[in-house]
Amino acid sequence: MLPELLQGSDAGGFLIIQDSAGCSGRHLLKSFINAALNREEAVHVLGFEISEEELKEELKGSLTQRLHFHDAFTDPLGWTDHPAFTVHQFGLEELTRLVKHTSHAKPAILVIDSLSWILRHVSPPVVCRTLQQLKKGGAVRAIIGLLHADMHQRGAVGSVCHLATSVITVAPRMTGDEALAKITKRSKSGKVVQDEEIFSIKEDLTVIVMSKPSHTGLKLTDPENQETDPTANLTFNLHLSDTEREAKDKLALPFVFSKEKKTALLHSGPGSGRILYEPDVNDDYDQEDPDDDLDV
Amino acid sequence: ISSMATPGNSADKPLAERSPFTTTSFQKKTRSKLISIPGTRPSVQNGQLLVSTGVTSLDYLLGGGLAVGTVLLIEEDQYDSYSHMIVKYFLAEGVVCQHELFMAAAQDDPDDILQELPHPILDDVVIHNPVEQPTLSCKCQDSLDSMKIAWRYQNLPKVQSTLASSSRFGHYYDVSKTMEPDIRQAAKCHRFFLPEHLTQSSPAQCLMLGSYSALLKSLQEVIHREGFDLANAMSKSRNILRIGLHSLGSALWGDDLSFHVNPRHRHALTTFLYGLRALLRSSLSVAVVTISSHLIQDRALMGSITRLCDNAIALESFKGSERETNPLCKDYHGLLHVHQVPHLNCLASYLPDHKDLAFKLKRKQFSIERLHLPPDLSETVSRVSRGELAGAATVASPCGSGTFGNKHLDF
Amino acid sequence: MYTELNSILNVTPDSFTQGEFILVSDRQSDASFLIHHFLSFYLRARCKVCFLGLVQSFSHYSAVSQRLGVSLTQAKEKGQLIFFEGLKESLSILIPQETNPESQAMDFLRDPSVGLRSLYEFVRSSLSSSGGEEKGADRAEEWGPPVLLVDDLSVLLSLGVSVGAVLDFSHYCQATVCSKLQGNMVMLVRCNGLEEEDDGDDESSDRLLKGLTHQCSLSLHVQGLPTGYCRDIHGQVEVCWRRRQGDGTHMQKKLFQFKVHDKGASFFARGTSNAVL
Repeated sequence: MLPELLQGSDAGGFLIIQDSAGCSGRHLLKSFINAALNREEAVHVLGFEISEEELKEELKGSLTQRLHFHDAFTDPLGWTDHPAFTVHQFGLEELTRLVKHTSHAKPAILVIDSLSWILRHVSPPVVCRTLQQLKKGGAVRAIIGLLHADMHQRGAVGSVCHLATSVITVAPRMTGDEALAKITKRSKSGKVVQDEEIFSIKEDLTVIVMSKPSHTGLKLTDPENQETDPTANLTFNLHLSDTEREAKDKLALPFVFSKEKKTALLHSGPGSGRILYEPDVNDDYDQEDPDDDLDV
Repeated sequence: ISSMATPGNSADKPLAERSPFTTTSFQKKTRSKLISIPGTRPSVQNGQLLVSTGVTSLDYLLGGGLAVGTVLLIEEDQYDSYSHMIVKYFLAEGVVCQHELFMAAAQDDPDDILQELPHPILDDVVIHNPVEQPTLSCKCQDSLDSMKIAWRYQNLPKVQSTLASSSRFGHYYDVSKTMEPDIRQAAKCHRFFLPEHLTQSSPAQCLMLGSYSALLKSLQEVIHREGFDLANAMSKSRNILRIGLHSLGSALWGDDLSFHVNPRHRHALTTFLYGLRALLRSSLSVAVVTISSHLIQDRALMGSITRLCDNAIALESFKGSERETNPLCKDYHGLLHVHQVPHLNCLASYLPDHKDLAFKLKRKQFSIERLHLPPDLSETVSRVSRGELAGAATVASPCGSGTFGNKHLDF
Repeated sequence: MYTELNSILNVTPDSFTQGEFILVSDRQSDASFLIHHFLSFYLRARCKVCFLGLVQSFSHYSAVSQRLGVSLTQAKEKGQLIFFEGLKESLSILIPQETNPESQAMDFLRDPSVGLRSLYEFVRSSLSSSGGEEKGADRAEEWGPPVLLVDDLSVLLSLGVSVGAVLDFSHYCQATVCSKLQGNMVMLVRCNGLEEEDDGDDESSDRLLKGLTHQCSLSLHVQGLPTGYCRDIHGQVEVCWRRRQGDGTHMQKKLFQFKVHDKGASFFARGTSNAVL
């Protein structure tokens, strides 16, 4: 499923790569940029968290003449005199102007690194509205955004992801160069496809899908977080085998009155005497209410 | 059963060997020459100038004493009885060493607190005790007491003849009696009683600090006027200023930390502590701050407060807690947790040997001891109390420099 | 400077990666010994160092550096080290005097909502003006790439600055120091209490740590031992490389235990402490 998404999405698509402090999704984002450049599409990168040099360094192998970097990294808040792009310029008109400025035949792909930076400074409703307008506006063919999900309120993450057509959540795996991607894709017809894939990214930014994690038991968890079983490695036995359990169940406990025991005690055999007893009022003696005057 | 008593006994020997008192002869000469203030001595660890808290067992726990320029944070026990006592010890030690005092409070008048200082035992009856009793016959706890102050240093001749100016480090006090007024009045005391300062609000105060603004200003004035700041030339004879700040963060200080999970003035106290650290680091003063942490609703705030102080200990009294009825606790009045040890002018800080500590208030003396079980004599209760011990030990162990959780079950 | 840590990070004062943002963090432990390591490391590497000492006085850093074999006073005189002493600067603002303070770097103390722009201005001017001002002098010495060290960021939260403002500050520092000037940056964050799993209601220092973790290229996280207090092992440090390494891996994690000594610290693999073997 991951290769399909990399192959290029349909127009009006909005893809979110969600990551957390434990696993960065930026490498996957770069793979998406790389894939789009290799398809000879124009890519506009709105970079808050990555500098132009660093991005171009990574994309050395690909055709970077169609890559347009909008620098929101050096001065996103306008603290110096001439900011290139500040976070407050994040709006439909400004972005359309930026993308239209370098016109290509096809509408471009807008990459936002990251939506988290914008969400920290612009209120979520405004962000959502702008994203929706961009998606529908036609100036960009598709939007790809990186979102650090653990930095925001759950509501904000949910609202933004609600607008997306596809969400890829990356999670760490045991080894450093592998990661787990949980993909949710909504098609126009309303069909929702979910999938999980383990992938790794090669040096030339191509994505290799290793395998699907089997849900039967191979789901690797961090050994650190595994519950320690206190009954493991004991010097004595706490477990019962089936035969032992059977023998244990058979054993009659001393103070349990089984039916046989009761009859054996009460009917001590034919020919001997029997006790006949009929309960009367005195048997109804209540210790808590000896005078029988309380309304219990 | 007998193994229960051994940890205490085996601890005696290393305790004596590690006791800072036995190694003071190795102190740097330059340091000792620089500082000749009564009631101080350089630390064995890092040459830091130390003063005594007045409680010798607490001094030992803190690595010899309180370093000048640092803050000791005491998280009050629920009824503020024992923490209040430590503050009084701290001030009394200042009186005996002829240090200057600064007491600030919002609840009780500082003068009242100063009137209740414990009575110093200056003609030490204690000195000869270890000599008279051969150490072998001593019970475990008694020998611990005598170890805390190396007796031979108590026998050193006093420099001055006046009673109240002993040059010795750390004194004993009798809490059953109060200090004579004439000794007390010999000490120079500065006081800050918040109700008296509420009316006069200066226009140029820092808004961040709230009601602590006046206190910080008053502290700075005293330090400046009396020549405690290090920047000043050695014009006056050097002395130490002991600062006691009682129940900061309480409602009476105008703080709302006790009422809301997200208090409006949540940064006033931490900002004040930052300013206090700034003042202390540049002056010959040392502070003891108490905070009723059990009243503070925002738990995370206590972490920030602790980090802005240097030493941090917490007192947990058994009074009113279910531990009071626990047979394990009948020998003590509460537990003492060390939350933070100072990292000042050194990389490796002094780490206590163990962190299971308890305190008790004897008839005349407050002391801190290693928590251990009374010998388990009866057969029937043994299993129960051992189980409870395990429970109590896990609660008592978490400590500032790095323990949390008991992840593995150790058999 | 701890040589064992250098070999773990695969650096020496003569060769180290430039443009790195190193995040040092701790939880229920004290990671400030690592700040002293980086301070002495970069001074030995002949870098131009700007040190924001917000939690301790100069004499503290100086005394510890002395033990590690570096003199801060000399470095300051030579112009290699620019030391910002937050405690000293704060007093004139907390206790207003007649004379106005000359430095504006701590302006946030007056009103935390204004953010840390003035503190950033201080960093920028002290690191980028290297060489420019001292032209008149005998051009003293040429220093290597600029380095910014902060001890520590979480105290800013205690002084009322918001998490967002601290993240903005570190972003601007990163853009200037790491990206534009190709220097390095080391920041310390200290977290409160235990890690809580339920997100959404995070404590402010945790939110700061998460935000900075996304920004940094290398993180060192110090924790106490999960099994409890020990005199001989002071805790464990998790080293995590978050940028692509030479061997192509994206994220690499290693865990070490450490012990802090009087004049340094030793690092060892788990379970290989001298006290155990």
